[in-house]
Amino acid sequence: MEARPQRLSLDELHQLRWLIGGALMILSVATVFYLDIDSGIMAAVALAGIAAGLARPRLPARVPAWVHRLAFPAIVLFFAGDLRVTGQLLPAIVRLDLMLLLYRGISYRARRDDLQVVVLGLFLIVVAGVLTVSLLFAAQILVFTACALCLLLVVTIAESTEGGQAPKLAVRGVVPPWAAHADWGRLWARLREVADWRLLASAAGLFGGVVLVSGLLFLAIPRFQLENSLFLERFVTKRAMTGFNDSIKFGDITEITQDDSIAFNVDLSDPSQAPRSPYWRMIVLDQYGNGGFKLSPVLRSELGRERTSANILGVGATGARGLATWTFYVESGVSRYLPLLGNFWALRFREAQNFRYSPDMAIVSLRDEPASMTAFRVEGMSPDSTELHDRQFAAMWRKRGPAGLHVQLGLQLSEADRAALGRIVAGLAVPAGAGAQEFADRAMAWLRRSHRYSLSPRIPDGPGDPLVRWMASGESGHCELFAGALVLMARSAGYPAHVVTGFKGGTWNAYSGNYTIRNSDAHAWTEVWDSGRDAWLREDPLAVSAASELALEKGDAALAGLMDRSWSARLNSLRVFWYRRIVNFDQQSQVDTLRAVRDVTGNSGRWLREATAAAAGRIKAWFRGPWDLARLVRVAGTVLAAVAAGWGISNLRWRIASVGRGGRTDPVRREAGRWLARVDGPQALVADLQRLRYGPAPTWPRPADVFRNARRAASGSRRSRRRAAWQSRP
Amino acid sequence: MSAPAGGARRTFWRRALWGLVWPRRRERIQPTISGVVLIGLSMGIGTAAYNSASNILFIALALLLSCLILSGVLAWLNLRGVDWRLEVKPPLRAGQEAEVSLLLANRKRFLPTYALWFEFAAGPYEKREPSRPESTITAKGIDVWATLSRAEAALSRGTVHLRTRLDPGGSAGLDWAFTPERRGLVRIELRGVGSLFPFGFLRKLTGTEITRDVPVWPAPVEYRRLMGAAPRRPEGDLRRARIGNEGDVIGLRHYATGDSHRLVHWKASARKRRLLIRQFSSQNSDACSIWLRTDAALWRRPEQFEVMVSLAATLAQDLFRAGRLQSTAIDGTRQIPARRLADLESFLDRLAVVAPTQLPGTPPEGEPAPARPRVNVMTFEPEGTRGVAAYVNGSKTAAT
Repeated sequence: MEARPQRLSLDELHQLRWLIGGALMILSVATVFYLDIDSGIMAAVALAGIAAGLARPRLPARVPAWVHRLAFPAIVLFFAGDLRVTGQLLPAIVRLDLMLLLYRGISYRARRDDLQVVVLGLFLIVVAGVLTVSLLFAAQILVFTACALCLLLVVTIAESTEGGQAPKLAVRGVVPPWAAHADWGRLWARLREVADWRLLASAAGLFGGVVLVSGLLFLAIPRFQLENSLFLERFVTKRAMTGFNDSIKFGDITEITQDDSIAFNVDLSDPSQAPRSPYWRMIVLDQYGNGGFKLSPVLRSELGRERTSANILGVGATGARGLATWTFYVESGVSRYLPLLGNFWALRFREAQNFRYSPDMAIVSLRDEPASMTAFRVEGMSPDSTELHDRQFAAMWRKRGPAGLHVQLGLQLSEADRAALGRIVAGLAVPAGAGAQEFADRAMAWLRRSHRYSLSPRIPDGPGDPLVRWMASGESGHCELFAGALVLMARSAGYPAHVVTGFKGGTWNAYSGNYTIRNSDAHAWTEVWDSGRDAWLREDPLAVSAASELALEKGDAALAGLMDRSWSARLNSLRVFWYRRIVNFDQQSQVDTLRAVRDVTGNSGRWLREATAAAAGRIKAWFRGPWDLARLVRVAGTVLAAVAAGWGISNLRWRIASVGRGGRTDPVRREAGRWLARVDGPQALVADLQRLRYGPAPTWPRPADVFRNARRAASGSRRSRRRAAWQSRP
Repeated sequence: MSAPAGGARRTFWRRALWGLVWPRRRERIQPTISGVVLIGLSMGIGTAAYNSASNILFIALALLLSCLILSGVLAWLNLRGVDWRLEVKPPLRAGQEAEVSLLLANRKRFLPTYALWFEFAAGPYEKREPSRPESTITAKGIDVWATLSRAEAALSRGTVHLRTRLDPGGSAGLDWAFTPERRGLVRIELRGVGSLFPFGFLRKLTGTEITRDVPVWPAPVEYRRLMGAAPRRPEGDLRRARIGNEGDVIGLRHYATGDSHRLVHWKASARKRRLLIRQFSSQNSDACSIWLRTDAALWRRPEQFEVMVSLAATLAQDLFRAGRLQSTAIDGTRQIPARRLADLESFLDRLAVVAPTQLPGTPPEGEPAPARPRVNVMTFEPEGTRGVAAYVNGSKTAAT
């Protein structure tokens, strides 16, 4: 039987080229599904077409010739129309890319087409990476790079096999020979047949080297930022998915809590300052009406004019050295309002942003919804403050008094509702002249007594304001109802108040050491103005009292209760690593890294010198020691053991090498080994057999001749033994 | 001790750095379309990365750059440990296809070698002192181009691809065929070893400077044999009934069609495994010598001179085959007996490079005149404007 060649034929190389090209396209197109640019259907069609072409390589020959003729003009026309209708450049380009990939997937490709596939695929992967800043990008770009390199390698080898001729475009309508008998199962079997584990290991090692060099280059590429930076995000408009907008209806926040995905991660430079139950403020809603709260024009004007900068200087504790630095990694689609614990001294973005900032309300609003993860660092932010000082409101309060504050004290309610609200507030029996805190405590206690917390609240039907109806009923409610009720009660009693939405709590990732806040942690609470302190007091009807909250443990004790050691925490730690070390890597990080490398190198050099000197001293002392018989025996034993270990390792290496030759010893070597065990002469034959068994293949004598001689020698010795035995019989 | 070591280290790094920016002689690296696309992509992504300070783009840029580095490393590994040897199978004749063999061996232990190609060139070569470089500032561009294209036209070029993988420890042979147009000394050169391996980004060509200088014998020429004239036996020689099988055995030659079976030397034939014919001294009675005169005064037309050389070569081979070639001489050089095939080949080698001489072929002063037979000497003279005739003892024996 003729042995099959130990290398792939030209047709098999073309099949491999088609297979890797298809895989590359599928990998690229799949990224579009999480790009949120309304191209899901087109991506699905492209995937189906490419998969069909991959599964049935004969299929492209059946594509009518007119399709090929019209493909390019049709694609260009579609792109122009798409751009005209949607007006969004990047989504239009992505759809154009998808169509080109689909066309390449259903037509036979020449070398330049393979190159086009690589470029188009890389574009999709990079765009998806830039827009999502996802950890998945790292995996995708690595797999993509490996596939692209394999594809280009196969193309080069196929070209060389064809005598330097680049793979030509197949004649349209004709199935090329490689496609006519393509069988992926058989190809896989052939690949296994011709694969050499040493080559594969080398390839894997080289690819590991590529990744390592990439990492080093990533660290070493000099960083500086140009002005007028280009953001791909500008070409994509995105809507917040969580509902943290300028206005909310009752139930919006509760809806968010149904989503368990991660909203943001927070790094804390000093975990001992970690609060047990942090309140991440995002937006203040002060105007109530029609069953919902919204940002009033007055408060909106407090946000000031839009600015463009990478740094925001706040009004928090200036130069507060004792306070930790907080680094936020906010996922895309959460909100354009940034989560903060309160006032801060400085907030730094990775790059210049367009934002508006209210220092008194501690609100930072970006101009656009971030289409990708947004990272920023906050310094001088108090982690456990339950009050927010508002100098502007205090001045207004002192100047105008309660009568002048239409928004924070405004109750756009009917007379009946006002009366009902008044009855409830009167029932609190708050003494005259009581402070805001005392009122809030009584009101919250009443709310907790009268209503239970539920994610499925029921507001009784009837006339009037729904919130007042709920307060008057005894129905259970969610956080927005509790917070809204407290606002109405406070305003009715003459205390300015507003609703704050954001997140409460979170978990502490035990692996990466950071807060992880999920959408399910979304929350709404109230802030009531305390004129005595000139501050807004945080009041959460669903939480323990502020005094108790202050008494809550902090630092390690607090984190112990929040510790998350689940598998999702493990996965999230990877994401945080990605954000910390890759996405958030900037010029300062680069300098820090280089400094650390320099320190480590310098220290290791010093350590090496010291260790070498110490070792030399020990060896010298050992030689100077007294030499008796027992010591000599020990040394000789050690040397013998080392020699035996060396022999064993070399023997093991030989065996491993024999395993590498297809999982078994070469049949010729095996056969020679068998004959060596049976034949004991003549000397030349034994030498030949030993050469076949152990010698390098190029120096072998002709195996068939050697084995024939061995057979003769063995049968001769058998005959002579038999004769000797017969002669020795009595 | 440290100063020389530091100096050596500096020299090494200086060399290494210069090696990077100043490639070795005849080493070319050109980006292919894929390479240009990759470089363009890298530049585009790099610009975008700096523009947006996006680390995602920096990662993509770093990966692209490391792919370029990987490409260089693999290309180096691919060529490392590969030996090549140029072999030319003589004889080479003008107008006939010649074969050049390249023997390849991969000395690597477990890495195969892929996708190499070899660039060959063959062209006339004259052994002379290397020319001094001259400025072309004063030369007209058209003249320079014309000179270059003439030089290029005289060259035969070819590229042979290694179509299969060269396994570790394995060897392979590649053949390149070319047709030398004219006689002379030809320099066959392996100009370079190229590769697109591994990813086709860069076209790398390494100059090898491996050359073989090979003589190209004159092309065979058709001629008319004039039966009226033949070599004359010396007077007083014995009359024999049959020519060729009397006298002393002076040697053996290969069997030719028409030879009598009686002349076969069976023992020698058995030993050599081919038929050998005894040669008798009497057979030399109708042998002749060839004397070639290259007097430029006689051969005024170069093409006629070429015809003469070709005719001389053809006749020499025919006569040797017939066992009738006694000796050969060119101009005033010593007569060289044509006893063995090597003698004939030596004569043909000399014919390959012979050129018209300005002076008559007289021996140099102080050197004895060559012992030239007085009879049975074949000489050549022009016949008409193009033809050449061969004369023996004053009689025309062959003409083109």
